[in-house]
Amino acid sequence: MSNIVRSSNHSPLQQRDQEKRSQDALLPAVDIFEESDVLKLVADMPGVTHESLKVEIDNNVLSLEGDIVLNMPEGLSALHAEVRGQRFARRFNLSHEIDSDAITATIVNGVLTLTLPKKDSHRTRRIEVQAA
Amino acid sequence: MFDDIKRFETGAPQQLDWFRQLLDGFLNDGDAMDIRAVPRGSFPMINVARSDDAVRVYVFAAGLSPSDLTIDVQDNVLTLRGRRDTLPNSDEDGNARPVFRRERASGEFVRAIALPDGLDAERAEARHAHGVFEIVLPKREELKPRRIEVKAA
Repeated sequence: MSNIVRSSNHSPLQQRDQEKRSQDALLPAVDIFEESDVLKLVADMPGVTHESLKVEIDNNVLSLEGDIVLNMPEGLSALHAEVRGQRFARRFNLSHEIDSDAITATIVNGVLTLTLPKKDSHRTRRIEVQAA
Repeated sequence: MFDDIKRFETGAPQQLDWFRQLLDGFLNDGDAMDIRAVPRGSFPMINVARSDDAVRVYVFAAGLSPSDLTIDVQDNVLTLRGRRDTLPNSDEDGNARPVFRRERASGEFVRAIALPDGLDAERAEARHAHGVFEIVLPKREELKPRRIEVKAA
């Protein structure tokens, strides 16, 4: 389980810094699907470890960030590079029915799985149609 | 390290990929491309780097465990095969569920990449950590850089 940080008082300077950092980041591919009481988000972030992953919720914006940790020896020169960046980053707006206190995250083999539970009041209820 | 090479330009950031492909369709400038080049975003993505004594291949294959990837080297072509399971379309109870995004590659894949000459495939090794496979292909002894001492006359 990764820690999920909640913060809401970013200074403008920090925000500018974040924007600059987000430019050189790779966009992880994600799958998002819905079950009756949770939304699930699965993101490919190869090379990101439990320690280098940061999942944040700020003003209903979910941000995923992770540095690619590669154990590379010194003195390498690149011949061919499809992954050109050191980090992954992506942000999503959450809808209000998500219970942001109950979000959980795991990362296994570079695949991040986020479980976003819905608030109790928003869970699916089946409505029976009554015979007239 | 892979950040700062410009020689092997592989294109704009991923977000612009569809746009770039569209433009490429209209504005084909006739540049020759590598015969084994693939569109951006193919799975898995591969980086190759060279050091004095080896060539290292990094395969970014999130979600694969070591037994899911087969690595073959023949005639300087490295072939990677494997499969990544599709996420089921229904939950545990068998109910279909709405899907909002399905960007992650799934199913079987095969990728082949040409390697430089002079590698010793017999001594190749592969490691796996956090969804990245590292394949180390040592150079043959006779091709390693050698310093030549100048003898006094």
